[in-house]
Amino acid sequence: MNPAQIEIQLIAIVVAVACALPGVFLVLRRMALMSDAISHAILLGIVLAFFVVKDLASPLLVIAAALTGVLTVSLVELLNKTKLVKEDAAIGLVFPVLFSMGVILISRFAGDVHLDTDAVLLGELAFAPFNRFEPFGYDIGPITLYVMAGILLLNLLFIIIFYKELKVATFDPGLAASIGLSPAIIHYALMSLVSVTAVGAFDAVGSILVVALMIAPPAAAYLMTNDLKWMIIISAVIGILSAVTGYWCAHIFDVSIAGSMATMTGVFFLLSFFLAPKRGMLSIWQRRSRQKWEFAIKMLVVHLSHHENLPEAKDESRIDHLQRHFEWNKDFAERVVRRAEKSESIITVGDIMELTDKGRQLAGESVVK
Amino acid sequence: MELFGFLGEIITDYTLRTVALGSAILGIISGALGSFAVLRKQSLLGDAISHAALPGIAFAFILTGIKSPIILIIGAAVAGWFGTLLMLSVIKNTRIKTDGALGLILSTFFGFGLVLLTYIQKQPQANQAGLDKFLFGQASTLLQSDVIIMGILGAIALVILMLFWKEFKILTFDPDFGESIGLPIRLLDILITFLLVIAIVIGLQTVGVVLMSAMVVAPAAAARQWTNHLGLMVVLAGIFGIIAGVSGAIISSVGAKLPTGPIIVLCISLIVGISMLFAPNRGLVWNWIRRRINRHRLHLEAVLSDLYELTLHHERRDHPHSVRALETMSIGGGEFVRNSLRELQTKGWVKNVSGDEWALTESGLAKANDLVKERQV
Amino acid sequence: MNDRNLESKDLSIEVADLTVAYGDKPVLWDIDLNVPKGILMAIVGPNGAGKTTMIKSILGLVKPAAGRVLILGKPYHKQRHLIGYVPQRGSVDWDFPTSVLDVVMMGRYGALGWVKRPGKKERDMALEALDKVGMKKFSDRQISQLSGGQQQRVFLARALVQEAEVYFMDEPFQGVDAITERAIITLLRELREAGKTVVVVHHDLQTVPEYFDWVTLINVRRIASGPVDEVFTDENLKTAYGGRVAFISHRKQEANEHVDIGEDRE
Repeated sequence: MNPAQIEIQLIAIVVAVACALPGVFLVLRRMALMSDAISHAILLGIVLAFFVVKDLASPLLVIAAALTGVLTVSLVELLNKTKLVKEDAAIGLVFPVLFSMGVILISRFAGDVHLDTDAVLLGELAFAPFNRFEPFGYDIGPITLYVMAGILLLNLLFIIIFYKELKVATFDPGLAASIGLSPAIIHYALMSLVSVTAVGAFDAVGSILVVALMIAPPAAAYLMTNDLKWMIIISAVIGILSAVTGYWCAHIFDVSIAGSMATMTGVFFLLSFFLAPKRGMLSIWQRRSRQKWEFAIKMLVVHLSHHENLPEAKDESRIDHLQRHFEWNKDFAERVVRRAEKSESIITVGDIMELTDKGRQLAGESVVK
Repeated sequence: MELFGFLGEIITDYTLRTVALGSAILGIISGALGSFAVLRKQSLLGDAISHAALPGIAFAFILTGIKSPIILIIGAAVAGWFGTLLMLSVIKNTRIKTDGALGLILSTFFGFGLVLLTYIQKQPQANQAGLDKFLFGQASTLLQSDVIIMGILGAIALVILMLFWKEFKILTFDPDFGESIGLPIRLLDILITFLLVIAIVIGLQTVGVVLMSAMVVAPAAAARQWTNHLGLMVVLAGIFGIIAGVSGAIISSVGAKLPTGPIIVLCISLIVGISMLFAPNRGLVWNWIRRRINRHRLHLEAVLSDLYELTLHHERRDHPHSVRALETMSIGGGEFVRNSLRELQTKGWVKNVSGDEWALTESGLAKANDLVKERQV
Repeated sequence: MNDRNLESKDLSIEVADLTVAYGDKPVLWDIDLNVPKGILMAIVGPNGAGKTTMIKSILGLVKPAAGRVLILGKPYHKQRHLIGYVPQRGSVDWDFPTSVLDVVMMGRYGALGWVKRPGKKERDMALEALDKVGMKKFSDRQISQLSGGQQQRVFLARALVQEAEVYFMDEPFQGVDAITERAIITLLRELREAGKTVVVVHHDLQTVPEYFDWVTLINVRRIASGPVDEVFTDENLKTAYGGRVAFISHRKQEANEHVDIGEDRE
């Protein structure tokens, strides 16, 4: 690995963690798409600020972009308040306008500067190491790395300091309001963080990777744990893994680094989607198939116990009754009966089923639950 | 007449005609199908579908090596469809909600699309130029053959929409009821989502992947403000789509360095803005005026009933009462009371007896009586 | 088990061994139910007892894990044309761009079949139904401009134009004004007089004896089902609702007095 490669990966790792932190709360608060809206809309802020200061490295760009992000959020809320459109439509109406303005301004007036529409979406991570941070003439690394490290720190501090407020406001907004935590303030604070993070990351990795890094790792982590702290940690780890593996895939196949990293976040999500303990598809399928039999046996014993010692019992306890009244097919019904016999819940006499004590107990337990 | 000259140019100029026609088709289809998406609260599904289509376009090109629109469209449709299914499966099987699943699909599919696009660019002999127009759209590159394919696909989508109009309506309004009368709701759901995929794929070349979602949401959102009738809403959305598509395409073909997609989006957003402000009944301005008129009427009635109350305390009904007495009962000052009285006078409900002394007329008495009764009910 | 010895030919609904589960969580456990023709039946039970699920699984909207449902002697999917359904009012978006008349005409869609559009006949039927529920003058209204009670009456009108034999209604009295409540109950009685069967998910125990002649108590399991005066007992209510017995029997007593007075007047 040459120094540039290490630096690129370092930047990507820092970006990934910085995005995962607010991303966790976006996913939990069902506002994941605000990251999409914000990361697109900030383009307008960047372009406008660029026209004023004529310098791509100016911190004013970051401030202007972050303000545009907050503007997006308030515009969406304003539209919601009119009740003229539904909430999802409000998001879908606001950010395309701001983004379109940004793109038009770029194509029309900034054609010959390093600001083009492709860079907006893709970013160019490969170029990130070219802009050096050289205080007093000492080269101590790429500027982007320091900017993103600063943003990461900001996000980290915010989450650590306001951890319990965020937690309450996310899981129980009603309680949060009743103990004097303004949901609006927390909402805007979080959205400001998302904006600042998106702005910082945008130049290096492009808006699409920002969205991917904010949503996919937290979504994957959400399937693996119930604990908020662990969800944050796992998100960060998945973000880092996506960044590194994405970088090397891009290196090997000589393709877009940002695109490759975004793809890897998707791959890691898919892995979690299928393999996550308890919530993964594999364990869901396993559980479903096990439950199908267990539940069928329960249905059978509950049914038998309902009619036990009643005049109609004889009729209700026949095996072929399961086909007629349960509408189970013959094969399934026979297999359930066989399994129930094997578990000693019932015995069969001819084609009549009878509950055993164990079966009676199971029926009782099933119904009480 | 410069305008007519310009319109003439559209009709005669081959490129402009093609572009305008293509954008019109895009507008009408996305407007019509978008109406259903918006009413089904799937506004942002279009965003996911259009982003998900990108890898499909790239894949189709890698597999076939040809840039034929029909092949790219098939690729886009397959990938868009696959993305939608994956998204629905995530929503159904995990605790991740719609917003998260949408964001997941759109960002990761799009990322993968970029990977494939850059891969194609690096291929030595491949003629990849033009694939990146799918990002922001480039109407000026539309060919007549593109427009014909768009037209055929769009017509098929519209015919299906009209054939199953009442079934789609019930699917959108009350799916449970629909299922209870025997409609295959799940099948209809799949069908209309597929039509949405077609609508989006048609627009990709013109508006681009990134902004196509706006063409799904905006015309419908604008149309909804003007009407309470589903059929009219769909027609209006189609018309708004056409207006935005054609004017956007023309503007971008006239001005240098104006990307089509963003211009069309600004046009349709302008229509949305106008609709939300000025549409009768729902529009904000309309609402504001109505509230003002209402408030004004209530103020007038308040002064009238104040005077009525004073009158009741007096034996003679036509006994005059002073503005000062009314002022103490009113929310406004003396000037407000005087103005109100003057307006009531023009309606013939009060009369000015002398200076600041006013009394109810016969009709004013009757009116005030009605008001009091109304309030008791 | 008051409904077991009924003859099959007198039954409008036969449910056998119906079990519905979400995952391994049973919502309905092995329900048997026989509903005779031409009655007004209430389904009552505490929140989460599975009342709505029961209607939905009878209508085939929820797939049961086991069980058989017959409507007038045949499986549901063969009898759709004989069924009217009034979903919960809150289950739809009332801001949908459509008119009152249009919603009511949806009741004819099943009979119309694919592709065909509703015409004059459907229009007239819808207007007639609207007249019956006292909503004719609202036929051109946009549905978002209706009050809760008016919305409910529109849904009822839609069920009426289905010209069904068996009606299922999910909480039609939920949050409606007194006038609508009267209108609905009058209508239900008319349906019964015409020999229809009406099954209503109901939450107000107090009005059960006054409004209905048959009642099914469920709480995941079937507690009891039969004529109101036989099954609507303290004991059964206690089984269905658990702890809050005093409250219920007090309310029930009131309700009974209410009925007595009503009968005196008749």
